[in-house]
Amino acid sequence: MSGIGMVLDIATSALSAQQQGIDVTAHNIANVNTEGYSRQSPDLETKQPMLTNGLIMGRGVDVDEVTQSSDRFIEKRLMQEKSSLSSSSEMEKYLQVLEGYFNETSDTGVSTMLSDFWNGWYDISNNPSGSAERSSLYEQSTLLSEQFNELGNDLTQVKSDLTNAVSSGIDTINKITHEIAQLNDQIVGMESDNTANDLRDKRNALVSELNGYLDVKTFDQSNGSLTIVSAKGCTLVQGSSNYELEMGGANGDRVIWQDSSGRNIDITDYISDGKIGGWLDMRDEIVGKYQLDLDALAKEFIWSVNQQHSQGAGLEGFSSVTGSNAADTGTGLGTVSSGLDYYDKITDGSFNLWVYDSTGDVVGGTATPITIDAGTTTLTDLHDEINTMAPNVTASITDGKLTINADSGYTFAVSDDTSNVLATLGINTFFTGSGAGNMGVNDSIGLNQNNIAAGQVGSDGTISAGNNANALAVTDLQNTSMSISQWTCDRLNGNTQGSTTSTIDDYYHSLMGSIGIASASASRDKSFSETMVNQISNIRDSISGVSLDEELTNLIKYQHAYAAATKLISTADEMLNTLLQVKQ
Amino acid sequence: MRVTNRSIFESVKYNLGNISEQLNKANEIASTGKRINSLSDDPVGLTQSLSIQSSLANIEQMQRNIDYGKSWLSASESALTSVDNILSNTKALCVQMASGTAGADQRSAAAETLQNNLDEIVSLANTNVAGNYIFSGTKTDIEPFDQDGTYNGDNNPFAIKISKNATVEIGGDGQAVFGTLFSTLTDLKTALQTNDVSGIQDAMGKLDTHLDDISGKISDIGSKSDRMDIKKNIFQDLNLSNTERLSNIEDADMAEAVMNVSAAQLTYQAALASSSKVMSLSLVDYLTT
Repeated sequence: MSGIGMVLDIATSALSAQQQGIDVTAHNIANVNTEGYSRQSPDLETKQPMLTNGLIMGRGVDVDEVTQSSDRFIEKRLMQEKSSLSSSSEMEKYLQVLEGYFNETSDTGVSTMLSDFWNGWYDISNNPSGSAERSSLYEQSTLLSEQFNELGNDLTQVKSDLTNAVSSGIDTINKITHEIAQLNDQIVGMESDNTANDLRDKRNALVSELNGYLDVKTFDQSNGSLTIVSAKGCTLVQGSSNYELEMGGANGDRVIWQDSSGRNIDITDYISDGKIGGWLDMRDEIVGKYQLDLDALAKEFIWSVNQQHSQGAGLEGFSSVTGSNAADTGTGLGTVSSGLDYYDKITDGSFNLWVYDSTGDVVGGTATPITIDAGTTTLTDLHDEINTMAPNVTASITDGKLTINADSGYTFAVSDDTSNVLATLGINTFFTGSGAGNMGVNDSIGLNQNNIAAGQVGSDGTISAGNNANALAVTDLQNTSMSISQWTCDRLNGNTQGSTTSTIDDYYHSLMGSIGIASASASRDKSFSETMVNQISNIRDSISGVSLDEELTNLIKYQHAYAAATKLISTADEMLNTLLQVKQ
Repeated sequence: MRVTNRSIFESVKYNLGNISEQLNKANEIASTGKRINSLSDDPVGLTQSLSIQSSLANIEQMQRNIDYGKSWLSASESALTSVDNILSNTKALCVQMASGTAGADQRSAAAETLQNNLDEIVSLANTNVAGNYIFSGTKTDIEPFDQDGTYNGDNNPFAIKISKNATVEIGGDGQAVFGTLFSTLTDLKTALQTNDVSGIQDAMGKLDTHLDDISGKISDIGSKSDRMDIKKNIFQDLNLSNTERLSNIEDADMAEAVMNVSAAQLTYQAALASSSKVMSLSLVDYLTT
């Protein structure tokens, strides 16, 4: 059938097609700033032609479908880069926080405090009987211990902050995967023969958001649904179901995925990118390492000072001393089961116990040697030995801590400890604790600074006011290289303990250097990822982004076509009128 | 390449962000005058600067130790010089009293003078620096000599460190420093009181030995003091060179820093100007309806 009716049909198809073109353009303009939106365009197509009077006549236009301009490959690359950008920018942020804690570019850092500490000992060696020097060393040491405590606590705090961040990140992930599963359901329902562009865009945006939290792989299913698999092959979304992640493990700091048969799988160490990957790297590798290293440094520092200090004597003898470290009473002090932090430092040997009467003379004229066998001497044995062998002193054990009391009017001192048992039990020591978090100055020094052991007991038992032998030995420690543990932390391979030979000061300095390097490289990683994301975003936008200039041009294009189509209708109308006039 | 509105806005944001970060960094360096403001600015430089700071703190301590040691040495030196003078006088007295022209009365009067000298020497041997007796070994809180010359100190001279590996005895073991001086003087006094010429002559010989001893000790102290001066000079040089090294590592080149700020500022202004132009362009503005 050809005729005026056909003109009207064609004009109608044109009107509706141009109308749809304007609709799509409007939709594009409306979404010019929508994250993840892909530009749409109507696929205009001529209608199936018709054989009319031996001629094949066109029948107008039709909108076949509305297609999206997007490149799967670029979208995937962009998501991956965004995922590593999320990871590295979290790392950068937390490392900057970490740098701030150490504060070494100002004069209040541990490095300066360490110098003050050693200099304090030099001052005491210059004037061993000076009370000003003694209280100044005590103050400096307290400050230094507190600074170590603060750093230790700050690192612990950062770790727990990171765990909290992971935990709330997982809540968001579960929300996102739930939404994706719902979208899968809607898309499958809608796409019998068309593509649900906007729903797909929405789903893509969610996948991109998900990628910001952790690295995922996506698989398109033929029915339009998207399967999402994450670390260690755990499925997060399949069809209309999502599988949730949760926090678990002994300390509630592990990421757990539950498989379909209800088994819990710990995927913590396999999440490598996204914010969660960054947080976990930060928590378990970076902060973990610095915490272990700082503790190793504090441990060796405390030990070396205590070991030397316990060889010396203060300005006066003790009337009572209680060890600061508790031990199991029934196992060899030099064995791990003694529970002592420094059990491995105990060797076979002995120490001298000097007892003085009220006039300061050595009771019995000589010291009582107390011998230790590292593997077999127990705390109870030590206690018995002191009570049996030494005059006018009584040993007792409370809560695993050894106390030595002198009889009224008597005092005592110790010297020449070749077994290290005194330093290990915390008797006549300078510091307490065995790590950054619990380091402190021994109470016996806090209460009476004359107990700072600047001197050593002479071979005849005298304690001279001007004896500075022990203080000089402590100052030597500043330049003594010792073996200090150094850790390598890797989430997949676990933590490995190595060791380095260095002075206390140098170890700390290189620890600061290493934090600086970690932070600088995180910043570099971040700006690299940022550049990559920026570049790929530009490519992505050049394919899928909306250009207002283009849309406005299209708008004019469709508008003109629409106007022309209405002209067709008015022309057809005139033609019909003309025909009708003929009949009149 | 197709350029979309979003990518224009995003790149403006990204570029302005980068430039303002540069400006901020340049400004931080110029306003603190330091090149290293956080650990990550230059980790290697920071490690070096921390080590240098430790060395500097140690050098300053060593300079304090040397000053402290020198105060002891100069106290020893002046005490021993006085002792030396008194001994010379005592010897002159002996020479007079040993001669045949001196009588018992004169000798017993000289014994009084000698007692004064003896008291003077005991008090010099009991010299203290800020309450620490310098000639009592490590028993610095105990007066080394009683009036009769009995020694109460010990035989370990007080020593301090003047560098990492060098200890210097700044105090003395009174017994070694004064030896039998006090018994020589006491014997001399008895000889004078008892008018015992051969006893006086005997003491004269011993006094010579004591004089030699004491002047030997004085020159010992002098050479220790010289050694400390040399050390101190070395530390002063070290202090200077370390301070310079520290400044090279830590401090910003101000001219460069200010230039960098201006450059960053200029870039920022240019970026702002061009961004505002690019962002305002749109076909919308040219369409009339």
